[in-house]
Amino acid sequence: MRTLPSALLAAQKSVSAIPYVKVEIADRIGGIRRLDWQRLYSGGETDSYHAATMPGDGSLIRCRVDSGSLYRQRVTSPGPGSNFSNWTFVDAAANAGVALASRAAQVLLFYVGTNGKTIYVRESSNYGATFGSATAITTAATAVGWLAAGLKADNTVLLIYSVGGTVYAVKRSGTWGSPAAWTNSLASVSGLACQYEADFDVVVSGSDALGAYKVWTCIYGDGYSQAVGTWSPLREVVTASAGSNMEFRAPFLAYPDVFRLTFVEKYTGSESYSRPCFSFSPATADYVNNLWREPVPMNLASDYGLAIAYGTSDMWLTTPSGVWQASLTTPALDVTADVLELTIETDPNGGRLRLVLRNDDGRYLDLSGEKAVIKAGGEVRVSPGYQTASGPLASSGPAYWIEGWEYTSDEGKATLVLHARDAWQLLEGWRSRRQYAWAQGEKNVFQLLSLIMARASLEFSSAGSSSVVTDLYPSFTIQPGESGAIAVRRLLAVVPDVIFFRGHFAYIKNPQASEASDYSYGTDHAILRGRYGSQRPQANRVQVFGDGPFVEAFGWDEVDDAYDRVRQVHDLNLNTVARARDRADAEMRHQEIASSGGEIVVPMNCGQELYDVISITDESAGLTNAQRRVVGLSMRYSAGGRVAVYEQRLLLGAV
Amino acid sequence: MNVRKGTVKGFNAGSYTATVQVAGSLAVWLADVPVARNIGAAEMVVGRRCALIFFSESDPRDALVVGVYT
Repeated sequence: MRTLPSALLAAQKSVSAIPYVKVEIADRIGGIRRLDWQRLYSGGETDSYHAATMPGDGSLIRCRVDSGSLYRQRVTSPGPGSNFSNWTFVDAAANAGVALASRAAQVLLFYVGTNGKTIYVRESSNYGATFGSATAITTAATAVGWLAAGLKADNTVLLIYSVGGTVYAVKRSGTWGSPAAWTNSLASVSGLACQYEADFDVVVSGSDALGAYKVWTCIYGDGYSQAVGTWSPLREVVTASAGSNMEFRAPFLAYPDVFRLTFVEKYTGSESYSRPCFSFSPATADYVNNLWREPVPMNLASDYGLAIAYGTSDMWLTTPSGVWQASLTTPALDVTADVLELTIETDPNGGRLRLVLRNDDGRYLDLSGEKAVIKAGGEVRVSPGYQTASGPLASSGPAYWIEGWEYTSDEGKATLVLHARDAWQLLEGWRSRRQYAWAQGEKNVFQLLSLIMARASLEFSSAGSSSVVTDLYPSFTIQPGESGAIAVRRLLAVVPDVIFFRGHFAYIKNPQASEASDYSYGTDHAILRGRYGSQRPQANRVQVFGDGPFVEAFGWDEVDDAYDRVRQVHDLNLNTVARARDRADAEMRHQEIASSGGEIVVPMNCGQELYDVISITDESAGLTNAQRRVVGLSMRYSAGGRVAVYEQRLLLGAV
Repeated sequence: MNVRKGTVKGFNAGSYTATVQVAGSLAVWLADVPVARNIGAAEMVVGRRCALIFFSESDPRDALVVGVYT
């Protein structure tokens, strides 16, 4: 249960409390700003190696290589009226990677000389207005492929470059050091990206020794997640099997609000394409976690990708012939004052919201301007509360994402009705577009769930999970076309734990029989109506067949009363008796929780959540401090009817 | 149990396992899928369609190529 301030706790127990339901709609998905890209420039420049950066004055610095010439561009105060077509010749250059890095007034421009081996840097200390002469950093033994650079606040610079399948790092702390090869191994490199955020965060695309093309993240350490001056292993973001005609190339990486990544997916089979994709990480994820939303294709063809630059308020994507701008500020609309009705239904399979907004004066007929957030996928955040002596207080509660809406008219009354679903719908909407497979021992259940949640733009955390969640490293696959919701449920089936959502955060918890009550009803907090039942579980005897072990678990009281009902489990991941025992116990817990039924209707408890344990005192039903688990809840708020309603229905299970 | 169709992408006669492109997965193959011993090694030709049974929907090891065709 969410923690509530004492004034709100007191208010919700009062018989005369006045409801307060805060509802806000924002252009976010999974808590992350949905960027609304506006293309500001369409030119005729050749698609080639390029880069972009934005120093502290907010000017957009771009560079590109075209037919052996390096060009740069600086646009101060970039915007819809800016001229993005003026380029300044810098130097003759190889047809190879270029890189830009900036911090405050400092801008660094890296490129490869005409011999294809020598890497030069030109530096600006006036926000890219002018650059100094070229300085040679190093000369590689053979042709240099791709460049990327990161710049730390203390002016330490890391330049990385590829020669064949090897990536070299050379650092400048005052003076340039000597290049050193990384400790990973690839057959080829088809792109590099680098930026500094506590470590030097790197993205590499290319092919491995088996010929499989992939995009990986890795870290050149600065002591946060990786030791200083060392390389982390490669961590896979996307993959394509050797011989699949799929390649990945030209990644770019930045941290404007969260880690944001672009790369090119290049398919050379029939209906070939070179399509940039973008992805981003959950807000709380460290780079080392390697959690990324499922890459989203962009309506653009490019072999050299989309460079990322950003300032304090906007993010920019660029190609040599294109410039796009998006605001980083999340537009939000507070519709609290317009709420006539609100209905929320939540159970273990998902939640639905129906929100009725007044529209008698046509205020929602034009969904533009500030109301443009009312669109498919817009995030509706509901915070139930009450008017208190301290003013209106609410508990930031569940989040829903808009599925659709309808206008109603009825004898002069007009409303806008929004329909939205909770995070389970985001999971349902994520469909695996390839075969995911993890060998036994590769990732534990928690890591697999984290990965699936991130693919659907969701955060994932523990609220007291079982040891099985972190101890079990199953062989696991997600079939192509399968939804994230199904994959999550299949993983939850092998552990005793359950998942509930708080906004865009998924929490996993172990619903133990010994769990203490979170809240009491029937004493201070009234019960309006109650119905209490018990029902036979679907199984009271579980037989688990592992890879060798066979284990059984019984609900003996049930077996004694009504004979046995068997459920069988077959799982090759269960290769020890202990594992099989854990699984049997997990199955029995799921059965036990489902063995009780009923519901209570109460005045709204603003902090109540799925799977909370509650105490019920209802003398008419012979209950005194009876413990139940919340296995479903609904909220009904109506301010526009003849009788105001603000109540909650809790579906009850066994603890 | 789940039945899916696929395309043979590789075959290891020693371990009698196949690499299979499960229908719907454009660019990623599933490796080390056991092949029914009643299918002759000579029939496991790369590019042929195949039928797979996933006895467990979660565990790719608990699957079997039960037929090849085309």
